Amino acid sequence: MTTFITRRILQTLAVIVILSYVCYYLMSLMPGDPVDMMVASNPKITAEDVQRLKALYGLDQPVYKRFGNWVGSISQGDLGYSRTYRVPVQELMGPRLWNTFILSIASLTLSLLIAIPLGVISALKPGSRTDYVVNLFSFAGISIPSFWLAIVLIIIFAVKIPLLPAGGTQTIGGEPLGFWADLADRSVYLVLPVLSLSIQQIGRFSRFTRSAMLEAMRNDFIRTARAKGLSRSRVIWKHAFRNALIPLITILALSFSGLFSGAILTETVFAYQGVGKLVYDSIIQNDYNVAMISFVISVSMVLLMNLVADIAYGFADPRISYQ
Amino acid sequence: MLNRIAKGLMLVTGVALALPVAAAPTNAELKIGISQEFETMNPLIMTMSASAYMYRMVGRSLVNLTPEGKWVPQLAKEIPSLEKGTAKIIDEGGKKKITAVWEIVESAKWGDGKPVICEDFITSRMIATSPTVSVGEKEQWTQVEKIEIDPKNPKKCTFKYEKAKWDFYQLAQFFPVPTHLEKPIFDKYNKQKEGYEKNSNYVRAATNPGLYNGPYVISEVKLGSHVSFSPNPYFYGKKPNIQKIIVKLIPNTGTMEANLRSGTIDMISTLGLDFDQALAFDKKAKAEKLAYDVHFVPSVTYEHIDLKLDNPVLKDVRVRKALVYSINREDLVKALFEGKQQVAIHNVSPKDPWYTADPGMITLYRYSKREAGKLLDEAGWKMGADGYRAKDGKRLSLNFQTTAGNKTRELVQVYLQNQWKQAGIEVLVKNEPARVFFGDTMSKRKFEGLALFAWVSSPENSPRSTVSGKAIPTAANGWSGQNFHGWSNPQVEKNLDALDLEFDAKKRAALVHQILKAYTDEVPVVPLYYRSDISVTPKSLKNYKMSGHQFYETNNVEDWNLN
Repeated sequence: MTTFITRRILQTLAVIVILSYVCYYLMSLMPGDPVDMMVASNPKITAEDVQRLKALYGLDQPVYKRFGNWVGSISQGDLGYSRTYRVPVQELMGPRLWNTFILSIASLTLSLLIAIPLGVISALKPGSRTDYVVNLFSFAGISIPSFWLAIVLIIIFAVKIPLLPAGGTQTIGGEPLGFWADLADRSVYLVLPVLSLSIQQIGRFSRFTRSAMLEAMRNDFIRTARAKGLSRSRVIWKHAFRNALIPLITILALSFSGLFSGAILTETVFAYQGVGKLVYDSIIQNDYNVAMISFVISVSMVLLMNLVADIAYGFADPRISYQ
Repeated sequence: MLNRIAKGLMLVTGVALALPVAAAPTNAELKIGISQEFETMNPLIMTMSASAYMYRMVGRSLVNLTPEGKWVPQLAKEIPSLEKGTAKIIDEGGKKKITAVWEIVESAKWGDGKPVICEDFITSRMIATSPTVSVGEKEQWTQVEKIEIDPKNPKKCTFKYEKAKWDFYQLAQFFPVPTHLEKPIFDKYNKQKEGYEKNSNYVRAATNPGLYNGPYVISEVKLGSHVSFSPNPYFYGKKPNIQKIIVKLIPNTGTMEANLRSGTIDMISTLGLDFDQALAFDKKAKAEKLAYDVHFVPSVTYEHIDLKLDNPVLKDVRVRKALVYSINREDLVKALFEGKQQVAIHNVSPKDPWYTADPGMITLYRYSKREAGKLLDEAGWKMGADGYRAKDGKRLSLNFQTTAGNKTRELVQVYLQNQWKQAGIEVLVKNEPARVFFGDTMSKRKFEGLALFAWVSSPENSPRSTVSGKAIPTAANGWSGQNFHGWSNPQVEKNLDALDLEFDAKKRAALVHQILKAYTDEVPVVPLYYRSDISVTPKSLKNYKMSGHQFYETNNVEDWNLN
């Protein structure tokens, strides 16, 4: 097991470095560098200004050298400087990553808490009225675009019935009222974005759970367990659900890998100060340092969560071994 | 069960419709919505419009341009002039230069009570011209060659300008920074690449009141979310009425109205709504008698189509003229903008004292399909049976590009495409994302025919960067300059050079009118319309004045009143 994990971590590191270079190179192929963008917006920038800025930003160097410099800075703990926002990257991204994490984990948790029981109930009574209602809800959830739902939620709960804020991350300008009051304040701002994100996820997860559970319930060992006189809940949760976990772990691992990537549409519509729009803007504006850090985080999360999933398979199914 | 759900929904809807809209704001707090991102507010390096909008609340410069288009002193006691003898043309080694005496308002102070002095301008200039600081346009700083402080008065100094240009006093972007706070940082980090920028107080301690000299100071900054402002107790001018201002970023313009109506924000700045959204909200506000005013103010933004003059078809001035004659721009602004944006006739906007619509001075093009047809016939482009003109078996066809996803521009394209079709000109739309369009296609002159976009200028601004032959972007000049159409006219070059050195306002206007004559005669550009700036304010807001140029309405924020 230890050898397996060590080998996978080393592979992960190698993949991160290779993919980072590929991404850096691809970004450099995008038309217009940051100085070109500056020239496009300011008619008074001269040829001398262009030359000076390109040298200052290192844009006159070949891509591999720029990448080398970037890796060198990262290895010294310096994540670089955002040329769009004029602040160090860690200061820019830190709070936003945290906000995105809170939003993503809250919606993922809510989705799982609702979707798994719904999926199981639906699978236990296939073809029943409950199954139809759950399916209807799931398909509706999957089909409704989250940005549209977000706007509808704002109109209903912020404009027509002003119960919740239309957007933002927390109340601006208020005096700090202590941990619990601040937590309550932030939670109020999370309700609508979490709801808008969760409805789609609930639909997706409940469909996966239903399908995995249906498959598991058809197995011979379920019949055997029932014949042995085990209780219904023990048959469902200990025998069927554990076997249904394998496909669910894969889906969950993929979902967890997106925890820091941000939900760009939801964050934009709710003016939620997350990382999604920041990453989009940084790519569009060629803000290399911000874009690359977010890329490294995304790649690392995907690889890490896949490793976690591989390990979790072994716990869910003891027949899987690591060699 | 279904009955119960239906009753529940009806109850919710009933409650929703009965609830009142958000309460009117007072002088205690005003929340402004913007849809554009902002950066840290270091006046030396900031480039974003949203930052400039906010900086005007906290920072003042020597002079300012009023909404009426008049230069007035702001931090300075008066504007130096040759007439008063406070500015002089000197000869230095055969080169004409200018010296001007500036004196800072006695009571001007930074937010920590320290006086604003000439040394603060020297510090600004020193930082901005440093090779390790990424200031885009250095010329605004290097134009001032030297600043000498009066030994008896630290608030009085003489600026020596490297060129004797008439607009030497237009130093609106020449912001001071507090020497006592920023110089130690610069001294410590100036050897590191971008070291000053990373460690400046504007980044590390942005709420330090000593960084600001305007009516407000920044009390909170969250990049990507909001900036809060509170009154500056040391402000030299009128005390602001509003006790707290919050500028909140709402990146999705589609939800701006919902945020306004729910009370999340109280007004929408000029950097908020799209034009079509403003038109729709204006109607709604009037129909529902909402307590908001929607302002449409003509601006200096010039929406136009650059014609690639290297294109063999567009080389012929008759074809270019026919392109203008064949479009009904009056109809366009009525149909698409309900007449709230004005038809453009050239690159100088009506907000500018240099503007002229005199047919004796410039060439005007009224919509005339017949005139367009005549010119195209003369140029050899004959109408074919398919409804398109052709010459030597080749159809008169042009590519038309703009920023993809910009709804207004895409509508304008469709409108014009249809009108040109009626004149027998095939126009193929090939739009690109803004990133590619501005970052590559335009900046490297890769467009093939027509390119629709806008220029933002300021009143009495030399058009050199967009009409001078020296401003045609090439690989040799690092693709700088914005004469994308590639127009070059020797007389215009002469006038541009003379314009910089002409101190007589009437003669300057005459030089510009000659440039405009050539511009409208030779048609390197199809003028479309001058854009209007838009904002939404509560009806109770008084003394709110939009300028229509780059000196945003926040310049007189201290006068705003909600009582």
